[in-house]
Amino acid sequence: MQFELRTQVIQPQRKTFQHLIDRYGDRPASRYEEGTIDLQATANYHFRPLWGPEKEIYSPDYSVLKLTDAYAFTDPRQYYYAPYVTARADMHEAFGSTLSYLEKRGMFERLPGQWRSLFAQVTLPLRHYEAAGQMINSHAARFGWGTTITQCAAYAAFDRVGNAQILSRAGISFAGGTAESLAEAKALWLDDEAFQGLRKLMEETLVQRDWGIGLVTLDVVDQLLYAVFFTHLDDAAIGAGAGSFSLVASHLTDWFNDQRRWVDALYKAWVQDQELGAANAAELSGIVSAALSAGEAALAPIAAKADEFVGADCAGALTAAVASVRDKFTALGIKES
Amino acid sequence: MTIAPKAPRKLSMKDRYSALTRDLEWDPSYVSTEEMFPFTSFEGIKIHDWSKWEDPFRLTVDAYAKYQAEKDKRLYAVLDGFAQSQGHLSLTDASYLNAMKLFLQGVSPLEYQAHRNFAYLSRHLNGPGPRFASLCQSLDEIRHAQTEIHTLSNYNKYYAGFHSYLHMHDRVWYLSVPKSFFDDALSAGPFEFLIAIGFSFEYLLTNLLFVPFMSGASFNGDLPTMTFGFSAQSDESRHMTLGLEAIKFLLEQDPDNVPIVQHWINKWFWRGYRVTALVAAMLDYMLPRKVMSWKEAFELYFEQQMLGGLFQDLAYYGIEPPKHVDKAIQEKEWLSHQAYWILYQFSHAAAFTTTTPNDEAREWFAEMYPESWPIIKTLWEKEDQNLANGGRHFIRGLPQLCQVCQIPMGFTEMDDPLKIAQRSVIFEGERYNFCSDGCQYIFEHEPVKFRQAWLPVHQIYQGNCGAADLPGVLQWYGMQPGDGGEYLGSVDNENWKTWHAQADHNELGED
Repeated sequence: MQFELRTQVIQPQRKTFQHLIDRYGDRPASRYEEGTIDLQATANYHFRPLWGPEKEIYSPDYSVLKLTDAYAFTDPRQYYYAPYVTARADMHEAFGSTLSYLEKRGMFERLPGQWRSLFAQVTLPLRHYEAAGQMINSHAARFGWGTTITQCAAYAAFDRVGNAQILSRAGISFAGGTAESLAEAKALWLDDEAFQGLRKLMEETLVQRDWGIGLVTLDVVDQLLYAVFFTHLDDAAIGAGAGSFSLVASHLTDWFNDQRRWVDALYKAWVQDQELGAANAAELSGIVSAALSAGEAALAPIAAKADEFVGADCAGALTAAVASVRDKFTALGIKES
Repeated sequence: MTIAPKAPRKLSMKDRYSALTRDLEWDPSYVSTEEMFPFTSFEGIKIHDWSKWEDPFRLTVDAYAKYQAEKDKRLYAVLDGFAQSQGHLSLTDASYLNAMKLFLQGVSPLEYQAHRNFAYLSRHLNGPGPRFASLCQSLDEIRHAQTEIHTLSNYNKYYAGFHSYLHMHDRVWYLSVPKSFFDDALSAGPFEFLIAIGFSFEYLLTNLLFVPFMSGASFNGDLPTMTFGFSAQSDESRHMTLGLEAIKFLLEQDPDNVPIVQHWINKWFWRGYRVTALVAAMLDYMLPRKVMSWKEAFELYFEQQMLGGLFQDLAYYGIEPPKHVDKAIQEKEWLSHQAYWILYQFSHAAAFTTTTPNDEAREWFAEMYPESWPIIKTLWEKEDQNLANGGRHFIRGLPQLCQVCQIPMGFTEMDDPLKIAQRSVIFEGERYNFCSDGCQYIFEHEPVKFRQAWLPVHQIYQGNCGAADLPGVLQWYGMQPGDGGEYLGSVDNENWKTWHAQADHNELGED
C-alpha cells in the first residue's frame, strides 16, 4: 500500500529556460540540455583577439567544417560534467583493479619474451601519441563553434591524458615500480626510425590551426592505430598466452568505443547538414584522404616492428583497417578525392 | 669481484607524478617551437626554463575523476531533494533571488568563458606542467557553469528574471560590465590571461566576488547555492594555487617580466574591482538577511588578506600594490550605495527588481556606514516622498557609460561625494569618457583595444538593439513581464504572498 504524502503543489511558470523552449518547445529539459545548449556566446563580442585580430573571440570560421546550426549535433552519450566524470571514475577504477591483479599475480613477468618486447617498444611509446591527442582536442575545445562540440573535445582532451596515464602506470608496473621502461619508450618515440613517421604526423597535426582538420586527422589515425595496436593485438595476445597484454589493451579498446560514439555522430551532422552538407563532404574527402594515406604510411613501420616481435600480421591488419575505414567514410558520403 | 646489481629504485611520489604528466612532453623537431607555440612570444614575457614551473597540485586523471564524481553525486542529491520539497518556499523572501538572478546572468557565463580559455592555455602554453594544470581548471570551470545552471534551474521554474540569462548576458546594459571584462581577458594573450583570470580574478578578488553570493545564500535559506559553494571550494583552492604559482613563475623567470606583470596587476585589479561594484550592491541591498557589509568584506578580504598578506610577499619580487588601490579604499564607504542607486533607477530595464531599503536595513546602514549614510539616506528619504506621492523614481533617458568598465557614470569624486566623477581622453579625434582614474589609466595603455568596446547605450543609439524605444529594446533584451522594476507588487512578490497564504491556510496538496 502507498502512503499519501501531502506536499504543497505549485504550478511552475515555465518548464525550462527560454532558449530551450524556443528550440525544443515548452517541455522539461534534461540536465545535458540545460548545461550545454547555447552556452557559448554568439554575438556582441567586445574586442578582437590581440593574438589574431582577423577573427572574433569565437567564430565558425576557425574551421572549414561548419554546421548551419551548431546544436544540430548533440553528444549521443549526453555527457555533461557530472556523468562524464562518473563514467571516467568507473573506467579508471576498472583499470586500477586490472593493474593490481596483474601486479599481484606477477603477470607482467609472465608475459612471453616477445610480448614483453612488444609492450615496451611498441605500446608504451604510444603514450606520447596520446599526449598529442590531448593538445589537438584542447585546441578544438577552445576554437570550436558551439558547446555541444567543444564540450566533447574538452572531455576527449582529458581522456587522452587519462589514456597516457593508463599506459604510463602499466609501464611503471611493468618496470617493477620504476620509470625505466618509460624512459626507454620516450627514447624510441624521439629517435627510433619506426616512430618518426607518426611523431612527424602528430607534430604537423598539432600546428594545424583549423581545429576541424586537426580533429578529423587525429580521428582517422586513431581509427587505424586502435584497430591494429589495441584491438587486433588484443586478439593475438589471447591466442599467444599474453593475457596481461590483452587486459591492458582491452581498457583502451573500451575507451575507444565510447569515443567513437560522439565522433561518428559529428561526421553525420557535418555531412547531413541541409545547407552545408555537400561542402563539408567535399572538405572531408580531402582531409580524410590525406589523413588515411599519411596515417597508413606513419603506422606501417610500427606495424612491421610489432610483427618482428610477435608475428601477428599487424601489417595485414593495418591494410584491412585502411580498407574498412575507407568503406565507412564512403558509406557516409565522404569519398576519397 | 662482482658487484651485486642494485635493486631498481622505486619512484618517489613527485617523480611518479612527473612521469605521469610532464614526462609526456617532447621537443618537436619536425616543426619549429615558434610554429608549435605561436602565441607565447608577442606579449614580451620571457620564459627561460618552463621546467621550473612547480606543479601547484598533484592530481592524476583517475584521482580527479573519482573525487569530482563523488562531489557531484552529493551536490545533485541536494538539488533533487530541494526541488522535490518545494524548498524555495523556505527562502527568507522572494526578493533574495535578485542576488541569484544577478549571479546566473552575470557570473555563470563567465565560468563558461573561463572553461574555453583554460582549454586554450592547455594547448598553447609551452610547458607541460602549466598545460596540465590548465586542463584541470578548464574542466572545473565547465563544472561550475553547469552546476550553477542546474542549481538555479529550479528557481527559474517559479520566478522571473532567470529565463533568458544567456541571451541577456550578451545584450543587456549592466551585464555588459562582466561580459566586457571577460572578453577583455579572452582577447588578451595567454600570459595576460593567466594574470587577469588565474591571478587577479581567482586569487586577488575571488573572496570578494564569490563569497558574498555563497554566504548570502547560506544566510537566506538557499541550501542548493550554499551546497554548490562548498562543493566548488576545493576546486577554487586549486585555482588559487595555480594563480599564485603563475605569478611567481613569471616573476622569477626574468626581471624584464616584472614591469609587464605590474601593469597587468594594475589593470586587472581595477577591472575586477569595478565588476565587484555589482557584488557590493547585491551584498548590501539585495539580501533580506544581511551577512556583512561591503565595507567589512573589502577590509577583510582585500585590505587585510591581500594588501596585508599577499603584497608583502610579492614585494620581494619588486611588485607593488595595484595602482589606484587607494581610490578603492576611499570608495569602500560609497561603492555599494552608488552602484545600487544606479541599479534602482534603471531597474525597469533590468532582469531583477529593486526596492527602497526598509527601516531595519536603514538602521544597519547607519551602523555600517557612519561616514556615507547620513548623505545617502537623504536620497532614500527623497524617494520615500516620491513614493508617498505615488511616483516611483525611474530614469527614462539613457546614461553615459564608462568606456572601460561600462558602468553608467554614477560614481563620485572621493573628496566630494556629491560631485559625479568624470574623466575623458581624446584619441584620434574622438572623445572617450571614464568613471574614474583607474578606467582612464586602462584606456590610455590600450586605446586601440578599448575603443572597440560594445557599449550598450551607443549600440541603442546606433540602432543595433532592435528598436529606438524602450519597449522595443526590452523585447530585444528578451525581457518578460515581471522581470524588472519595483519588487513590491511585482509578479514574484505577489506569487510569494499567494503561495505562503496557501500554506498558512493549510490548503496543501492535491489528492
